[in-house]
Amino acid sequence: MEDICQQYQGVTGRKISFIILLALVLFGVSIIALSQGPSSVGFRESFAALFQDSGLAHGIIWKLRLPRIVMAIMVGCGLALAGTVFQAILRNPLASPYTLGIGWSAGFGAVMAIIFGAGLYNEYLIAGNAFFFALLSSFLILGIAKFKRSTPETMILAGIAIMFLFSSLSSLFQYMGTMEEVHEIVFWFFGSLSKVGWKEISMASVMILFPIPILLKWSWDFNLLAAGDESAKALGVNVDAIRMLGVVLASLVTAGAICFTGVIGFVGLVSPHITRMVIGGDHRFLLPASALVGAVLVLTADILGRALWAPQVIPIGIVTSFVGVPFFFYLLMKKTREYW
Amino acid sequence: MKKLLSVQVMVIFLFCSVISADLPARALQWQAGGITADKNREKNIRIKDAMGRSVEVGLPVKRMVVLTSDALEVIRALNAENLVVGVNSGIARDTLFWPGLKDKPTVGRWMEPNYELIVDLNPDIVVGYARHPAQDMEKKLSPFGITVLRLDFYKIRTLLKEVEILGRILEREKEAGQLTGWYRKKMNFMQKRLKDINDRPDVYVESYSKHQTTGPGSGGHEICVLAGGYNIASNFSIPYPQITPEWVLANNPHVIIKATSLSNCYAMSRPDPLKSIRNEIMSRPAWDNIRALQDDKVYVMASDIWTGPRAIIGTSYMAKWFHPDIFRNFDPEKLHKEYLRKFQGIKYQGVYVYP
Repeated sequence: MEDICQQYQGVTGRKISFIILLALVLFGVSIIALSQGPSSVGFRESFAALFQDSGLAHGIIWKLRLPRIVMAIMVGCGLALAGTVFQAILRNPLASPYTLGIGWSAGFGAVMAIIFGAGLYNEYLIAGNAFFFALLSSFLILGIAKFKRSTPETMILAGIAIMFLFSSLSSLFQYMGTMEEVHEIVFWFFGSLSKVGWKEISMASVMILFPIPILLKWSWDFNLLAAGDESAKALGVNVDAIRMLGVVLASLVTAGAICFTGVIGFVGLVSPHITRMVIGGDHRFLLPASALVGAVLVLTADILGRALWAPQVIPIGIVTSFVGVPFFFYLLMKKTREYW
Repeated sequence: MKKLLSVQVMVIFLFCSVISADLPARALQWQAGGITADKNREKNIRIKDAMGRSVEVGLPVKRMVVLTSDALEVIRALNAENLVVGVNSGIARDTLFWPGLKDKPTVGRWMEPNYELIVDLNPDIVVGYARHPAQDMEKKLSPFGITVLRLDFYKIRTLLKEVEILGRILEREKEAGQLTGWYRKKMNFMQKRLKDINDRPDVYVESYSKHQTTGPGSGGHEICVLAGGYNIASNFSIPYPQITPEWVLANNPHVIIKATSLSNCYAMSRPDPLKSIRNEIMSRPAWDNIRALQDDKVYVMASDIWTGPRAIIGTSYMAKWFHPDIFRNFDPEKLHKEYLRKFQGIKYQGVYVYP
């Protein structure tokens, strides 16, 4: 018995050390991001400027580089968390904010607010509209699931249908729009961290950070859901409530992550998988670790996107896939046993 | 068995739909032979269009469908508006600027027109951009004897040549000569004054989207250089790259020019939309350290005078902003007035720049 306990502690210890390692990596990458930029503010000045009250270096660090880093971390965390939650409650490895169409509908909401609020750039309107459309599509998916007693596969199919619907609606805007609106939408689909300031971050952080403790609290329930709805119910999990609220919270997180930055699609799907391959499917560890993986992925992608072709920026949405896909394939090939 | 039956039904259905989709096209092609024969030409000329292709055009041109507002402006300047029998749907919305065209039939969007509507109007030629609509336009329209003419009129470098070509096609060489002559005169005036400048101000040119600049190969870069500025994105390799706000800060430009594609500037009476675009730039984080903002040299310009036949007016504004001393007594607005009165037959109104 003691032996098993010891083994369990050993495994848990490894998982915790993986999370600590990820946190350290994220810290390291943040430091690189903070000290890199086209201006003359180099490594040392960057850190000195962190503690200054004014001056050019202060402006560059506090108003340009830091918001970018914070937002990259939040977007990565948010999308990865939402992906993990969707995968857990739908019991489907294909689930993610984008494959479920929720990212696209949130994006459509944001694009709509950007275009119809012409000139009146209003972050509340953008975030609110993104969330509204994210919720709309997630309830649509849930509704289909509820009425038809459908399988997780049906949900994914419904999600893909929604993805097409909203990407078509966005294309329609693009088709009808003026030159300016077309550019705005095209750039939105590339994803960009340049447009984010502290005001946007404070909006997004409410939407991303507030659901985190609740989701973490539900980790045991998510674990039990993996055994199937009946077993989970038998073990006392209120499956319907968890599923419903889980979708609402994950939609909120998704909307917060993308409403100011645009399409950064790949993170939500692969971060949970990458993490699961390393530490397994226990959501107590999977949720925080996956969030950190997402953050590292997005922040690394942003550094590369700014550096590879400087001073031209390769949009973050594009680089994320370039970074994530090969890494994901590598893990897929390396991992011999099934992990899902 | 049931499954097999349904598959068969599906195959038959698919087959029928393919056939029926193809039928109207065949019928049209068959009819088209007759229409081609109807058109009698007095003479044919060969011209080189914006794609560098040699195109044969039958003269005289009596009916034309024009898909681009840039071409329409030149056509009006050549006094040939009466030959236009169809326009793109955007023109109909801009009735103030196009009083003579407001009742003309529309044929859809400039980049994707409805070919059936075009054929219905039975034009001799259709004018589009080099790259829009796509190349299928020629395939669709040539069976009906309609010549597709691709002329851009939005690049300042090729504008005059294209005006001359259109002048030949519409047999309005005299009018074309007047327009190109005026253009050359104004351009020479500007270039002569700019010849001896040794300091070009550093300019950040922002395209329609936030943090998207204009590199070589874009119209924005071209007119910035013509106006005596140094585009800080001069050594970029793509025309419309995304950049970081920090890069602009690091380059510390003297002047910032922001392009905007507000529609209907001609009908605008107050500068508020342009002003709010400028205010947004002025309030970007950390940009208060940029020289252009400190010296209040941030300008917003509408696409009406940014590209297209009126690019010379946009260029003049830029030249005055870049070199206020050299162009102290020069008024770009007067130039604009003169152009509209002389070549477009309409009075000057609207807001195009701020401040």
